[in-house]
Order: sequence, then structure tokens, then C-alpha cells
Amino acid sequence: MFRNLIGPRAVIRPTLTLPTVVAPSAIARWSKRGYASEAEEKDLVIIGGGVAGYVAAIKAGQEGLKVACIEKRGTLGGTCLNVGCIPSKALLNNSHLYHQILHDTKNRGIDVGDVKLNLGQMMKAKDTAVSGLTKGIEFLFKKNNVEYIKGTGAFTGEHEIKVNLSEGGEQTVTAKNIIIATGSEATPFPGLEIDEKRIITSTGAIALDKVPESMVVIGGGIIGLEMGSVWSRLGAKVTVVEFLGQIGGPGMDAEISKAAQKTLKKQGIEFKLNTKVLGGDTSGEKIKLDVEAAKGGKQETLDADVVLVAIGRRPYTAGLGLENIGLETDDKGRLVIDSEYRTKIPHIRVIGDCTFGPMLAHKAEEEGVAAIEYIKKGYGHVNYGAIPSVMYTHPEVAWVGQNEQEVKASGVKYKVGTFPFSANSRAKTNLDSEGLVKIIADAETDRILGVHIIGPSAGELIAEGTLAIEYGASSEDIGRTSHAHPTLSEAFKEAAMATYGKAIHF
Amino acid sequence: MASFVTACRLSARLTSRQLRQDAAARGFRTSAACLAAQNFTMPALSPTMTEGNIANWKLKEGDSFSAGDVLLEIETDKASMDVEAQDDGILAKITVGDGAKGIKVGARIGVLAEAGDDISSLEIPAEESSPAPKEEASKPKPEKASESKSEAVPKTSSADLSPAKSSKPAEKQTRPLLPSVSHLIHEQGLEQADVDKMTPTGPNNRLLKGDVLAYLGSISSSYPTELSTKIQKLSHLDLSNIKLAPPPAAPKPAQESAPTSPPVVEELEVAVPISMSSVVEVQQRIQKTLGIFLPLSTFIARATDVANDDLPQSKTHKPSADELFNQVLGLDKVSSLGVRGTFLPQIMAFPQAAPATKPRKPAAKSVDIIDILSGTAKPSKLASKPAPGMSTSVNVFSVTVPKGDKKRAQIFLDRVKTVLEGEPGRLVL
Ligand SMILES: Cc1cc2nc3c(=O)[nH]c(=O)nc-3n(C[C@H](O)[C@H](O)[C@H](O)COP(=O)(O)OP(=O)(O)OC[C@H]3O[C@@H](n4cnc5c(N)ncnc54)[C@H](O)[C@@H]3O)c2cc1C
Repeated sequence: MFRNLIGPRAVIRPTLTLPTVVAPSAIARWSKRGYASEAEEKDLVIIGGGVAGYVAAIKAGQEGLKVACIEKRGTLGGTCLNVGCIPSKALLNNSHLYHQILHDTKNRGIDVGDVKLNLGQMMKAKDTAVSGLTKGIEFLFKKNNVEYIKGTGAFTGEHEIKVNLSEGGEQTVTAKNIIIATGSEATPFPGLEIDEKRIITSTGAIALDKVPESMVVIGGGIIGLEMGSVWSRLGAKVTVVEFLGQIGGPGMDAEISKAAQKTLKKQGIEFKLNTKVLGGDTSGEKIKLDVEAAKGGKQETLDADVVLVAIGRRPYTAGLGLENIGLETDDKGRLVIDSEYRTKIPHIRVIGDCTFGPMLAHKAEEEGVAAIEYIKKGYGHVNYGAIPSVMYTHPEVAWVGQNEQEVKASGVKYKVGTFPFSANSRAKTNLDSEGLVKIIADAETDRILGVHIIGPSAGELIAEGTLAIEYGASSEDIGRTSHAHPTLSEAFKEAAMATYGKAIHF
Repeated sequence: MASFVTACRLSARLTSRQLRQDAAARGFRTSAACLAAQNFTMPALSPTMTEGNIANWKLKEGDSFSAGDVLLEIETDKASMDVEAQDDGILAKITVGDGAKGIKVGARIGVLAEAGDDISSLEIPAEESSPAPKEEASKPKPEKASESKSEAVPKTSSADLSPAKSSKPAEKQTRPLLPSVSHLIHEQGLEQADVDKMTPTGPNNRLLKGDVLAYLGSISSSYPTELSTKIQKLSHLDLSNIKLAPPPAAPKPAQESAPTSPPVVEELEVAVPISMSSVVEVQQRIQKTLGIFLPLSTFIARATDVANDDLPQSKTHKPSADELFNQVLGLDKVSSLGVRGTFLPQIMAFPQAAPATKPRKPAAKSVDIIDILSGTAKPSKLASKPAPGMSTSVNVFSVTVPKGDKKRAQIFLDRVKTVLEGEPGRLVL
């Protein structure tokens, strides 16, 4: 341990001209923490215990590698479990229930008395879900012999990581292989300082202590629309300001995006597309945001109690000591890798949000497994053409493969088949029939190129589309496969039939 | 249709060696778990074996067996061998009995069911279906298969995956045909021989609807391959045209924030008088008893090291976005326990008695790590100070810190004092 003290600190010693010290055993008595002797080399050390990192760690444990995972947050699961997918979906689900009880029970024959929101309890329910899941991962670590090191890791050498332990002190770990899985952070909006109370990112948005009267969401991507939905359902007046001409981000099919915008608008969310935020003033009781039409022109000021900055996320590699080993990032901060996730130092690999590809938890997870397979077996595979995306608003939006804009741009001739949920018996019975299934297939071969769904349970239905693309299926293959009646999945089948022939029920 | 599919499978039968490779390449495990009843075929007991005789069955129809039990004895022209069960199960049916001669490898000799199945109600699969890899009864274990997978796949995969190169003739389809494919084949009255001639362009050489259409001439024969190549491209991360960040890498918070913050931070000097008399005493005692001279600086360095441990977080420490996130979530409690400091005290022979806290100009020199990192540390000593140097009695130990960190510095110096005045011997013994 003392060895470490000599290293970096030796730099400052000369000003005092104190002699270099040799480790005295007695010094340990002065310290509460024991000076752990350096453990032997690991097969693999993973920096970051998010989805990418923890999945890789468990997989490595299962493959019999001697593995340790370093996480500084204090809990495992990373962004996704702690401040991302899981807490946001907890709030989305419960705010939807609340909203439905308020507005949608009478005509179903359920008379409800006094309905009140208990936000504190709703947050507690969310926290319970989060802590249950993060503890679950800790259990899986134990089960699969993964060493869990709580602290912040930084490279001190190509095989060596110094961990600033959360409980104080330091530990150095060495490993044959290293995986970087340090994830991402919210991209800040220049000029608006995040305090997570009034100017918030998604992390503040899952933890507000009261429902704001008004909220402006900067950025109409998935995260912005999900969090906007939550607070709108709970009573906030929500305005979404988006620089581009469509919501949902560039991956969403334009037709579906328009449909989503219409539905969300009906639910009370206001949209300002093609609009850019110039800056804000937080000095007053209300935050004042200056916005202007993106192509120049009309300027106006929006008032808000809370401003949610949701303009995207960026790779997070701060403090990792990349400069100590000369690892490179690209102009967007993504760590540079090859097709096997290797950096230019081949035993150091990178997976998840801090490198290329969509910033999605299931993508991170696939890479976690593939990276271990590369290390252990020399071959791994992730099909980036078949990674689904889901927006958990109501109705949900989900897609996989290419959207119509992309197919058109690629010059491929295509056919489109759609089927509305309003013609689906289950959606009708559920009185929840907004939306449609849209399938895009190659005009010549009928091979499915993309599936886009807006509607109830779209996120569950998309699995079939993903499987179809993974297997190279044609729309006819789906149309000739039995789907249970009455289910929402029949809409999927009928959309497929409409693509190569005709739907039966429409 | 059933008969067609059957025909399809019949001709798709492979020799056991091919089959093994095929199964391995696709990561199939040699297990019958996917089917309740499974045809049991004449296994190949050596790479060259093409047919064999059944000496005798060791079980009767309806008998259960466990993995490792001998099912039957087989003779070839070279030897006779026992065939062991790989899994638990039931021998549902014997279709080729004791003494049968010249049975081709891969031909059905019985039907196996899963342990626990009710064999009276079991559907017996058709004779030729699924030449399941049961031939491997006495052959490599599943682990072996997954190992060879690791070697086999990297080599084959790129070819497998890029249909562009699939000028190679059609690969025989051994899995169930897609519904669209078998429908077209029937509708068009195609034969198995036709299917074998088609070029599959799907993932892992799956025969797609487009491939049949291309074979029929309804679409251009090269089109399915072109489309597959396009789709194949999308299945990889686009790592072309990476624009590297400019060399002075962006994420270097320490240096980045430096130019803006230091002028604002007001600094103080915190000082504590510390008597070195105990240290000198110990020093002399050690020299007397052990004959070793330890310079005072050794004691001070060690005291400094100990005192730097577990200090409260610096007030000037700018919480990262993540730490802010964590505060919001109440996850920050663990890490706020304490961090290691990097203080190095300035030591002067005693000028005056009282501990002092003097305001200082930001530009003042300092050996604080913050300044070193921010590049504002000045190497020179303060001119207005009493002459530097250490006395063997009382010295003033001081550190210069940003204004908010007075308490942190005070804790540090108090610890140094306790250690040096209290039990300096423990620092070196
Ligand atoms: C509000 C929100 C909602 C989301 N919803 C979804 C969704 O519904 N579906 C979906 O697929 N994705 C969703 N995402 C995205 C998803 O959370 C990320 O894609 C996923 O978490 C990426 O995993 P990762 O392991 O790469 O990184 P992260 O989950 O960010 O994990 C990285 C971990 O590394 C740790 N770390 C960083 N540096 C160090 C270091 N030096 N030493 C030690 N530890 C370090 C961090 O503390 C962090 O815990 C959402 C994100 C947000 C913000």
C-alpha cells in the first residue's frame, strides 16, 4: 500500500525535501483501514457496474474467469437501474394508473371516490423497485463469484487500475483483461446550470418532491417525452421544445412520430417543434426561457417552474485516467474501438454507452455477453440491425430495423402494410385502441426491413418483429403463423398480411 | 406437404461427421431436449463406419434409463461396442430388433422419450425426421462441441454471414423451412432437387422467400444477395470515419477548470505550533538502543501520511454530475465518509506562539495539491516569512488552503500534532 503513496505523491515531496519513506509496519496501527496487500492478477477487471459492466461480470464469472467489477455509485446497475430505465418506468406505470383512475374509469363501470396523489409514496414505490433490483445484482455477483469493488477506478497502467475506495483508502488491481463500461451522463445545456431542483436532468425528474405547476422539456426525444408524460399526468402543464421537426428522435418513423405527437397532445402536452432555446433566466420565481423558431424569426419567452434538460446523453469517461495509457475518444467523447470492442491496447475493451452504437440498456447487455465471449472463445456477436427501441409513453411506441425515411433513402423498393388497433378485437375490448402496426418489407423479396408500432403494449409486441428481422423473415412468414385470439398480437399478424396481401379484418 | 418436407429432410441427411460439424457450427448441443419423442438412429462409432449390426438391446420397450446406461450393443466389421445413453429417458420403441444386420448409419433403430413421459400417449415421430445427433452416443460430449464451436465459428462465420460471397451453391436446408418458403414450393410444385439448387441468402444460410422467388425467376437472381449484403452492413457498428477528439483530450476536469477557478478562490494559511521535543526524545532513544539515526523529516513524513488519511471532503471539490445525481437520490452517503488528503505542511522554526489564521492573497504560494494540479503553485518560498528551517523544539506547521477548507486543514494539522507530540515512536517502530 505504501508503495502507492510514493508514486504520485513523490511529485510534491521535493518542495519539502522529505526523504522517501519505506513502509513501516507500525504505520498501519494509525490507520483504521488495514493496508491490504496487493492481490494477485485477475483475469478480468471491469470498470463500471452498469448494465454493460454487471452483465459482463456475471457472464465472466459463469465462464470461470477470475473477475472483479469496480463501481463508484454505491449500488450496482448503473444509470439504467438507479436513475434510468427502472425508476422512470416505475413512475410511468403508476402515473398512468393514477391518470386512468382520474379520467377513465366511469365509462368502464367503475365509480371511484376521492382520488388523491401521494407523491411521496409513489416515489417510495419507485425506490423499492430500484433497491430490490440493485440488491438482486449484488446477490448475482456473489452467486457467480464476481468480486465487487466499491470505488472509483482510474488507469495507472495498461494492466493496472487504482481504485479510490468509497470507504476511504486505495486499492490497486491488476488484470490480464480490462473492460471499460463507464456509461454516459446527461448532456448539459450550455448556459443553464443543472441544480436538479429547478433545472433538472432525467435524474432530477424522477425525484421531484412536488408536482410543478409548469414544466418545459428541452428536447423531444424518448427520455424527454417519457418524463414529460409522467409530470403531465400528475398535473403539471408540460411544454416540449424540440429543435427538429419531429419528436421521438431520428430513429422513430416519421409517420409514427406524428401519430405519437397527436396522441400526446390530446393528453395535454404542448409541443413547440423547430424551435430552439436561446437561454434562460433563473433569477425570478419562475424560470424564463427564451426560445426562437429554429430557422430564425419569432422569439418568445416561456415561463416554467421546472426546466427538464433532455437533449441527449454523452459518454462518461472523466477521471478514468485514459490519458495515462493513451486511449482515444472520438469527437463525441466515445471511446474508439474495433469490431471486437478492443481499443488500440487489445486487452482493454469498451462496451455500453461510453462507446459507439445506440445508448440502450439491452444493447449494453448484448455487448457485455459478446465481449466476454471474445475474451473467452474468440468469437461473439451482436446484431446491431435487430436492436429494438421502445418509448414507454401511453400508448407506447416501439420499433426495430429501418424506418420508412431510411429505407427510402437507401433506394430499396419497399411495401408498407399497416393495421390499426381500432380494428383489433382485444384493443377494442380493452377500450384502448389508439395506434397501429406498420411493417415495411422489401418489394421484391418481401423480407421485412422494419417494424414500427404505436399502441398498447407496443414494447412487448416488438419482440416478434425483432425475431423476424433476426431470422430474415418475410411478412408472409408472419402472416402464415398462428397468433392467439383475442390478443393485440393479431394486429401484428394482420399488418403482415396487409404487407404481402390483404388484412382480413380491415 | 408433409411428404415433401419429409423428402427434403431425407436428402438432407448428412454423414455423421458432416452432421457433427454442422451441429457444432450452429452451436447445437447434442441433446434431445427439444422433442418429447426422438428418433434414435444407428450411431456412427467411428468416422469411417457407414453401417452396423445390432447385437442386442440391453433394454426392453418401455424401460427407463439414466445417462450412462448401456442401451444396446452394436457390431461392425471391426469391433463390437456398447452404446451409452447421454441423457435420462425412456426407450419408447425398438424399431430394429436384435440381430439385424447392415443397418445404415442414421437409420432409425428406435424411439426415445424423455424421462417421465407417458409413452402410451406418445406420438411416435415419422421415420426419417430429424436425424438427431444421437449418433454421438459414444462420441464427444457436449462441452467438446461447444469448444469446437469456438474454433470453428470464427473461421466460418464471416463467410456464413456475408451472403455476397455465397456464390457457393445452395446449402442444404436442414431446419424447418419458413412458412412462406414451403408454401411457395408447394404452390409451384417444386421438387426437393429444386430446393437444393436454390441459393440461401438469409442469416446463417437460411433459405428465404426471396431465394425461392429468385430461383423461380420472378425477381432478379442476384437481388436477394444484394439485399442481404445491405442488411448485413446494418448488423455491424459503423466504425468507419471515426473523427478522433483533438489530442488534449476533453475529459480532464482538473486542468480544464483550472484556468477559470483559481483567481476566484481565496486562500488562507492555517498554522499550528508543534513541539518536536517528543520526536527528538524518541530519535535519541532509537539511536541509543538500535544505533540508527532517523532524521526528523522521516517522522514528519510519516505523520503527514497518517494525518492525511480519511479527511472530510474538500469544500472546493466540485461534485461531478454523477455525484449530484447521487445526492439527489441519496446515494452519496457512502462516499462522503472521508477521502485521503494530500496536504504537505510548511515547517518553520517557531516565530511566535499563538496559532494563527491569516488571510492570504490568491496568488500566494502553496504546496496544496489543488494548486499543483491547477498549475498555479509557485516554487518560491514566501519572502516575508521568518527564516525557514526546523528547530528541535517548537515549529510552526502550516498549510495553505482555499477558504472553505479551513476546517479540513485544521483537522489535518491537529492530527500531525497529536502524532508528533503524543507517540512519535509508533510512527517508526
Ligand atoms: C431517464 C432514463 C431512462 C432510460 N430508459 C431506458 C429504457 O427504457 N430502455 C433502455 O434500453 N435504456 C434506457 N436508458 C438508457 C440506459 O440507462 C443506458 O443505455 C444504460 O444504462 C447503459 O449502460 P452502461 O452500463 O453502458 O452505463 P451506465 O448504466 O451509465 O453505467 C456505468 C456505471 O459506471 C460507473 N462508473 C463510471 N466511471 C467509473 C469509474 N471511473 N470507476 C467506477 N465506476 C465508474 C457509473 O457510476 C455507472 O454506474 C435510459 C436512460 C435514462 C437516463
